[in-house]
Amino acid sequence: MAEPAPPTLEVSGLAVEIATDNGLARILDDVALAVAPGEIAGVVGESGCGKSTLVRAVLGILPRGARVPRGAVLFQGADILGDGAAAARGRIGFIPQDPYLSLNPVFRAGDQILEIMRRHAPGRRADHVRRLVDLLRAVQIPEPEAALARYPHQFSGGQRQRLLIAAALSCDPALVVADEPTTALDVTTQREILALLARLARERGLAMLFVTHDFGVVAGLCDSVTVLYAGRVAEAGPVRAVLDEPRHPYARLLLACHPDRATDLAGIPGTVPPATRQPAGCRFHPRCPIAVADCAAAVPPPVAIGGGRRVACPRHDMALPVAELA
Amino acid sequence: MPEILAASGLVVELGRRRGWPRAATRVRAVDGVDLALAAGETLAVVGESGCGKTTLARALLGLQRETAGRILLDGRDVCGLDPRAARTARAAIQYVHQDPGAALDPWWRVGATLAEGLALHGVRDGAEQASRIAGTLAAVGLDPALAGRYPHELSGGQQRRIGLARILLLRPRIVILDEPTAGLDLSVQAAVLRLLRDLRARFELTYLFISHDLSVVRRVSDRVAVMYLGRIVEEAPTADLFARPLHPYTRALIAAAPRLEGDAGAPPLAGDPPSLRAVPAGCRFHPRCPSAVAACAATVPALEAAGDGRRVACLRWRDVARDVTMPALPRSTP
Ligand SMILES: Nc1ncnc2c1ncn2[C@@H]1O[C@H](COP(=O)(O)OP(=O)(O)OP(=O)(O)O)[C@@H](O)[C@H]1O
Ligand SMILES: Nc1ncnc2c1ncn2[C@@H]1O[C@H](COP(=O)(O)OP(=O)(O)OP(=O)(O)O)[C@@H](O)[C@H]1O
Ligand code: SF4
Ligand SMILES: [Mg+2]
Ligand SMILES: [Mg+2]
Repeated sequence: MAEPAPPTLEVSGLAVEIATDNGLARILDDVALAVAPGEIAGVVGESGCGKSTLVRAVLGILPRGARVPRGAVLFQGADILGDGAAAARGRIGFIPQDPYLSLNPVFRAGDQILEIMRRHAPGRRADHVRRLVDLLRAVQIPEPEAALARYPHQFSGGQRQRLLIAAALSCDPALVVADEPTTALDVTTQREILALLARLARERGLAMLFVTHDFGVVAGLCDSVTVLYAGRVAEAGPVRAVLDEPRHPYARLLLACHPDRATDLAGIPGTVPPATRQPAGCRFHPRCPIAVADCAAAVPPPVAIGGGRRVACPRHDMALPVAELA
Repeated sequence: MPEILAASGLVVELGRRRGWPRAATRVRAVDGVDLALAAGETLAVVGESGCGKTTLARALLGLQRETAGRILLDGRDVCGLDPRAARTARAAIQYVHQDPGAALDPWWRVGATLAEGLALHGVRDGAEQASRIAGTLAAVGLDPALAGRYPHELSGGQQRRIGLARILLLRPRIVILDEPTAGLDLSVQAAVLRLLRDLRARFELTYLFISHDLSVVRRVSDRVAVMYLGRIVEEAPTADLFARPLHPYTRALIAAAPRLEGDAGAPPLAGDPPSLRAVPAGCRFHPRCPSAVAACAATVPALEAAGDGRRVACLRWRDVARDVTMPALPRSTP
C-alpha cells in the first residue's frame, strides 16, 4: 500500500468553551478528525451538537468570548488556531448554508466575488475576472461573462449556491469547509450541487469538511464520517461501515430513527443536554439504554476498533434493547 | 372508503388582481388539480419548492379563494364562498403550519393561545377549556404544565406538538400537515411521526401530508400525489410509486432523494426548476425531461388512469414504464 498522504486538515483534542450567563458552555470537547487531500469528510449530528462551532474553529471565526482551552487545528501541518494564523488559513474555502442570505442583494454577484478575490490576492482586476469566468464555468453557470453583471436575485437558489462555491474556490483552496450547503435547496438541486462538489474534490484533489444533519447526504457524498453528540465524537470511520453497522449506542439509536430503516423507533428517550449542563462521564449516559454506573464516572475516549473506526463507548459490543424502546 | 374531500379542476391564481401589466403580476400557482381524499387515509403531496403545495392546502382550507374548480366536503359543494363563510363550511379541515412557531403568539403562554382557539370556536367556559386543553396536551405527549410556558421556552419538537394540540382541540376530521417534520432532528422526527400515526388512529383523522422528504413520505403515506409547477403529474399508492414510478419527474425526484443506502448514481436532472412566470407549453416538464419527444412540447398531457389505482400525466408513460434504466431503488423496508 502507498504511504497515505499527510492530512490537509488535522483536528486533535479540540475543546471550545464560552462563558455565558448560565455558566460555562462546554461546546466542543476532545474532538479529533483528519481530512486527506481528495477526501470528503462528513460531520453529522443533531442540532446543537457543535457542528458549526467546529467549522468556526477551523475557519478561525469563533464567536466573541469563545476559548480554546485544549487542542490543535493543523492545516497542511501548520497550527492555525492562534490569531496570527490568518495568512495560513488563506487556502481554506468556505461554503455557507444559505445561498439566499449569503449574497448582498444590492451588489452584482460578480463584484462581490471579485472583492473576495482581491482581498485574498491583490492584482489586476482583468486577471481576476478571467479567473472568475473560468471558475463560473467549472461550477456550470451558463454564460459566465454575462452572469458577472447580474444581481443575486436574478439567479435561482441552486445557481446562487454555485456562485458561492465559485467564491470558495477563488482562493485556490486546498481545503473546502461546507456547513449544510444544500439544506436550503430542493432535492433535485441538492443532487446537482452534491455531484458538483464530488467532482471538484476529485478533480482538484481538494480536502473537504462537509457538515450536515442528513445521513442520506453523507451516504451519497462522503468518504468518512464523524458522528458528534453533545460536542464530543461518539463514533467515526468509513461511511459505509458507520452507516451500515454503527457501534456507539447513540449512533445506533439515531440511525434506527431514520425513516429509511425498518425499525419503528419513536425517538430517543430524553433530550440533548444544553452546553452549559453537560453530564459527567459519557455525555450520552442519561439517555443510553445500556449505561452502567461507570458510564457516569469516567469519560470514555474514542477507541480504535479496527477498519479505521473509532468509537467512544466501552460497551459498544453490547446488544441494544431497540425492540423495547420502540 | 368513502371520499371525504374532493377537488376537481381546481385553479388558484395569486398576485395582484388589478394593476399593470396585469399578466405579469398574476400567476397560476395551482392549475387544474383533481384530488380525492378517502376517509382515514394519508395522502402525501410531494414536489419541489414553489410547485404549489401550500397554495393547494390554503385553497382546500378556504383561506385562499379558488379561481375555478369545485371542492366537495362530504359530497357537499363548499365553493364560491367568501373567506369567512368558506372557513365555517370547512371547519372540519384544519391546518398545521409549516413553521410551528409562526402559529403561536410569542407574548402569550401557550395555554392562552390554545384557549383562544377554543373560544373562537364557541367553547367559552373556562373549566371546559382547561380540561380539554389538559386532555389534548396529554394526547400529544406533553405535560399539561407546559400550558404555562411561552413558545420560546419550548423545543422544536414541543412546538410541533403544541401546533398539533391546537388543531386537535377543534376536533377536525381532516388535517393538512404542511412539512410537519421540516427542520426536526431525526430522533424528534421519529417521535412526531409516531405521534401522528397514533393520533390518526385515535381520532379517526384523514391526513393530507405535504412534504419534500421522500423517505418520510414513503414511510407514513398510503398514497402519494406528485406536483410539478401547479399540476399533479402522478398519483399512486405509495409502494407502487416508489417501486415503479411512471412519470419521468417522479423518477428524477426519487433518484435525487438522498438515502441511507447511498447514491444510486443517477445523473442529476438537467436545467433549473421552472418558474410560474414562464410556464412551458405542452408538458410543463418537457424542457428538463430526459424522455421528451417533439410532441411533448405541443400537447398538454392529461392526468390519465394507468391501472392499479394510479394516474399519470405523461405522453410517454408506457414507454417510460418499460424503460429499465431506472436506477436501483433503495431496498424496500416496509
Ligand atoms: N455564542 C454562543 N454562546 C453560547 N452558546 C453557544 C454559542 N454558539 C453556540 N452555542 C451553543 O453551542 C452548541 C453548539 O452550537 P452549534 O451552532 O455549533 O451547533 P450545530 O451542531 O451547528 O447545530 P445546528 O445543527 O442547529 O446548526 C449549542 O448548544 C449552542 O447553543
Ligand atoms: N401572493 C403571491 N403572489 C404571487 N405569487 C405567489 C404568491 N404567493 C405564492 N406565490 C407563488 O406561487 C407558487 C406556489 O407557492 P407555494 O407556497 O404554494 O409553493 P410550495 O409548493 O408550498 O413551496 P414550498 O415547498 O417552498 O413551501 C410559488 O411560485 C410562489 O412564488
Ligand atoms: S459509554 Fe455508556 S452511556 Fe455512553 S454510550 Fe456507551 S454505554 Fe451508553
Ligand atoms: Mg449549525
Ligand atoms: Mg409550502
